[in-house]
Parts: sequence; structure tokens; C-alpha cells
Amino acid sequence: MLAQRAGTTALRRVAAAPSSVFKLAPFAAMQTRPIQTERLTPADEAAILAKQRLNRPVSPHLEIYDPKQTWFGGSAWQRITGASFSGALYASAVAYLAAPLVGWHLESASLVAAAAALPVAVKGALKFLVAWPFVFHAINGVRHLAFDLGIGFSRATIIKTGWYFWGASIVGGVYLAFFM
Amino acid sequence: MASVARSSALLKQVAAQQSVAANGLRVAAFHTTSRKSLLPPPPQRIEGTVNDPVEVPPPSPSHGSYHWTFDRVVAAGLIPLTVAPFAAGSLNPTMDAVLAATILIHSHTGFGNIIVDYVPSKRVPKARKVFTWGLNAATVLVGLALYEFETTDVGLTETIKRVWKA
Repeated sequence: MLAQRAGTTALRRVAAAPSSVFKLAPFAAMQTRPIQTERLTPADEAAILAKQRLNRPVSPHLEIYDPKQTWFGGSAWQRITGASFSGALYASAVAYLAAPLVGWHLESASLVAAAAALPVAVKGALKFLVAWPFVFHAINGVRHLAFDLGIGFSRATIIKTGWYFWGASIVGGVYLAFFM
Repeated sequence: MASVARSSALLKQVAAQQSVAANGLRVAAFHTTSRKSLLPPPPQRIEGTVNDPVEVPPPSPSHGSYHWTFDRVVAAGLIPLTVAPFAAGSLNPTMDAVLAATILIHSHTGFGNIIVDYVPSKRVPKARKVFTWGLNAATVLVGLALYEFETTDVGLTETIKRVWKA
């Protein structure tokens, strides 16, 4: 039932009663309550709440952060380099298992022959592409173990040593790729 | 008269809606970054009532602190195993097998951590199961392949060394 109807009906009844002193008819017309209530089951309430929750704001994207922190964070690159190496290990190991069935040659001798056949520039580039993530993951992994012991874990130190480790990993990668 | 009053109430409601829209525009203008719904919220469900506190998961050290410590022990163990061939010039087959096994464990738990982080069981329970068991199966396969490689070929370190010097 409309709440506003209830109000007007009651007032109209009062106004309709004969009275020479009070004229309530104008007030009766003004009495409106433009709301409507509804009886809801708990399930209905939960459904409305669940729908309402879809309107909650979603966290903003990475670009709200300082790009230096987003793109050169040691922790993110630790995961990227590690997952790349482990992914390569898993892929090549499964390929090695499948090799006799598919007819590939992945024994160490044929891998060495394939590597030897590459042009020097390509071989150097590929070696750096493996050496840099290896050095980065190795030395940054030690840094993370130090973090876990609470060493060097102040914000200023993390930012400063982060750059040192980037530099050291590139130097180490160049050394492993071209001088070893 | 009643209808006149109602229409004025309707007008009020329309005005209110317009002011809400204007307010929304103001709020949208306040945010300076673009809005990207990369991960739109999945269908929501209410567990219990809205007044229930968030459920505390039952403690499980083997998935928590023990697992964390084990990860660190394996990672730290890889340091001498990695440095040894550089220092000694070569690795004997047993040490090479230990290195390969440790790398396999390190990879397995590393992939496991990535799955736990990016495939939440609360949001995608089925995908979580597929990924977890897929990883377990892949690790068994890779373990088999590493065993084959270590027993029939020259070993991990020696292969890398030969390819590097090729």
C-alpha cells in the first residue's frame, strides 16, 4: 500500500467530518509522502547487497605509481627472471623427454654443435640474454635473503641498493657473456 | 491536487538524480588516471550476514611458516651449489645431480608461489586446482627428464659449460 495514500486517506476522513471551525481540506491535499516501502526476505536483501558491491571502486592500475618503482623494482624482476629460467628448464626438459619420439636431437653434443654454428654476434647476444638474468637472479636473490633477515630493509636503503644491483648485474652479465 | 503534489515530488526526484549525476562527474574529474577495468569484480556473494567478521583461516604451518623457511633454505643452498663449479672448474656427477634436484625444487616452489599469488582459490577455485595439479605433473615430468639427462648425458653443468665455450 502506498504510504502517501494512507496519510491522505486519514486526513481526508478528518476533513470530511463537519466542522465550522477547522477547514482541513487544503492541508489534506498537501500531505504527501512520496516513498514506498517494500517487505524483503533476507535472500532479497543479500541479492541487493551483492549487486551493490559490484559498484565498489576497483584499485587503480600500476600507472599511478612512480614509473621507476614499477619498472625497476628488484622484487618484480626477481620473479620475472626466475620464472623465465624455470620456464625454460621445464620446456627444455619436457622437449628432451619427447625428443626420441618426435625425432629431435637435444643431446649435449648436438646443442654444442648448434651453438658453434651461430655467428659470433648472435652467440654473444644470446649469451648476454642468458647471463644477465642469471647474474641478476643470483645476486638479487642473496639481497632478498638479506631482506628476510631484516638486513638493509629500510626504504632508502632498498631504493639505493636496488640501483647498485642493477649495475652489478649488467656488469656481471657482460663479463659472463663476453669474457668467459 | 494530489496528482499535482505527486508531480512536484517527481520533479524533486529528477532534480536529485541530476545532482547525483553532476556529483559523479565531479568525482570522475577528480581522478587523474584513466579507468581500466582490467580485473572487473566477479559476481559477489554474501557469506553469512554483513555483520560477521572476516573468517580467520585455520593455521597450517606446512603451508605457511615452514614452507616459507623451506623456500629460503633451498634458495640459500643454491648459492654454494652455484658457486662451486665456478670455483672448482667442474662438478662431480653427484654434486651435479644435487644441483639439478635443488633447482627443480626451487622452480617447483617458485611456480607454486606464483600460482598462489595470481590464481586465487577464492576467485577462481577450478583454475587454481588445474594450475596446481598441472604444476605437480610438469614437475614429475621434468624430474624424469633431468634423471634421464644426468644418467645418459654429460650433466647439467658440463652441458652449459660446453655450449658456453662453443
